[in-house]
Amino acid sequence: MKAVYRVLAYLIALEVVIQAAAIAYAIAGLGTWIQEGGVLDAAAMESETTEFTGVAGFMIHGINGQMVVPLIALLLLICSFFARVPGGVLWAVLVLVTVVVQVLLGIFGHGTPLLGLIHGAVAFVLFAFAVVAARKAEAVLGGLERTSARGTAGVA
Amino acid sequence: MLAPPEAPAPGPVAPRRRERRRLLVAVAAAFVVLAPLAWLWQASLLPDTYSVTDMGTVDDGRGGGGHAGHGVAAGGRGVDSLTEPSTAPADVRVELVARAETFRLASGEEVTGYTLNGTSPGPAIHAELGQLVEVRLVNESVRDGATLHWHGVDVPNADDGVAGVTQDAVPVGGSFTYRFRADQAGTFWYHAHQVSHVQVQRGFLGALVVTPPGGVGATDALALVHLYGGMRTVNGRSGETRVDAAPGERVRVRVVNTDNAPMSAWVPGAMFRMLAVDGTEVHEPGEVRDVAVEVTGGARADLEVVAPARIELGGASVLVGEQAAVSSGPPAPRPVGTLDLLTYGTPAPLGFDPATATRSFDYVIGRSPGFLDGVPGMWWTINGHMYPDVPMFMVAEGDVVRMRLENRSGEGHPMHLHGHHAVVLSRDGVPATGSPWWIDSLEVGDGETYEIAFVADNPGIWIDHCHNLPHAVEGLVAHLMYEGVTTPYRLGGPNTPE
Repeated sequence: MKAVYRVLAYLIALEVVIQAAAIAYAIAGLGTWIQEGGVLDAAAMESETTEFTGVAGFMIHGINGQMVVPLIALLLLICSFFARVPGGVLWAVLVLVTVVVQVLLGIFGHGTPLLGLIHGAVAFVLFAFAVVAARKAEAVLGGLERTSARGTAGVA
Repeated sequence: MLAPPEAPAPGPVAPRRRERRRLLVAVAAAFVVLAPLAWLWQASLLPDTYSVTDMGTVDDGRGGGGHAGHGVAAGGRGVDSLTEPSTAPADVRVELVARAETFRLASGEEVTGYTLNGTSPGPAIHAELGQLVEVRLVNESVRDGATLHWHGVDVPNADDGVAGVTQDAVPVGGSFTYRFRADQAGTFWYHAHQVSHVQVQRGFLGALVVTPPGGVGATDALALVHLYGGMRTVNGRSGETRVDAAPGERVRVRVVNTDNAPMSAWVPGAMFRMLAVDGTEVHEPGEVRDVAVEVTGGARADLEVVAPARIELGGASVLVGEQAAVSSGPPAPRPVGTLDLLTYGTPAPLGFDPATATRSFDYVIGRSPGFLDGVPGMWWTINGHMYPDVPMFMVAEGDVVRMRLENRSGEGHPMHLHGHHAVVLSRDGVPATGSPWWIDSLEVGDGETYEIAFVADNPGIWIDHCHNLPHAVEGLVAHLMYEGVTTPYRLGGPNTPE
């Protein structure tokens, strides 16, 4: 379970990287599309048929951010109850709360751009929390691995 | 689970018992987290099929109600009986054959979507005021089924075209005939109201223009705007669309926004007038310049320009008259200002007194996390509740109705009430002082509050939803319900109106 905890925590951190990359890809693609004559207004933004290189970035960012990341964070919390990583529950709760804040900031940032600014910054907080959580599990796992190695040696 | 092969034995307390206790605590904690989620998920699941009359919370508009809507309208008139009374032969007869196919736009681009009689947009239907219109929809190959909704026309309820509310979706090989009187001159459009968030976006639509006998006294042009693959088109043509007109000639250009959110129209370097909004004439519209007209999703704006002129629509344009010099060079940018219909034109009698309202409703749009039919997400709420726990606005024929539309959801919404035209009374508490501003599709921006009023004069069950059609899928749909009206049709199964 500690290994699962570690994997889930690192997955969250990886997701933050994917989110940043996806949105940058989308914005870059959008800029190119506009340069090439595409016109963006509310109607085009809300048209699900608008196509350009990078448009997938918006979809990835939305689906990942609203569905996949919250699901992983929830699994991390459940896992933490069983994993007995010192401070594991606390860090899992912090990760989940940060994810919730992040989703809300992302969604309400559509109406209040300042929230978008915070959304970008909080991503790094989430990344840090996820890595710390993973490292906590790693510390215990590392200890176990050493114990395990000694134990095996002892038996042999 | 990883565990040391030789657990240290810290004294007499059996480690097994401690282990078990820890496991129990973990299971209990997991239960505490998951059980409410599982309950919310389960509670959000919709039945396979359900009646719109069983859905949501009754709001009688008098401060009463609030109970669940079961059996509210038992034993009344069925929507099927609410049809055009005249059985006379129709003056305008059209057959529209719907197909799912890959086709070419008028300007040559290839699109995969839906056509009516082989084209998208479908043929523009023209009628004169007072004529009886009969349209037979034939579904040749639209697998999800098809319907036609007459956007902005206050048709009899049976002809409203909402799958699962006023009819069953027409399956492949089936047909349905719509009959209504064109009793309002203006610009309207028709579109699918079955899986509409996909079908409309992919071209299942067309224009309906009702003119007064003898025409509008000016050159009459249509500019139905639609995005195909993110490319803006006018009457199915990308780039520039030309309208023939002699210099000095007045031309009425009927702009129809068939997309999900607002677009802008502007007339660079020339005066223009906004003659009509959503199919209703503006009273004494003054000439304006250097302002943009916002046309929200589903809305129409009839603009009058004097040839030669150019109307920019954001990536596409309409050229009125000879344009040798004007048509070259980059398009003029959108003016910063937007024409405010709250003060445009001059007042005129409404034909009813909103102060005598017999029903008063709130339609407060919000957003909250939760499950919608089992799917987690951030979903729209109406008066604080998520679909299907949305209000059922009860009225009786003849009621004067006021409705407060408030948007606290973080995004704008083009709100569309079927079967009625409503007049805007105020925005953010500021009363309307211009021409009566009659709407069927009203953009309610984030943070805005509109007060509107209308007369309940068209019995039936009328959905009242966001015309950003994916938003309707996400639960932003309520309905106006006349006392004593029932529907034999059911939502779910083959009927997915949004």
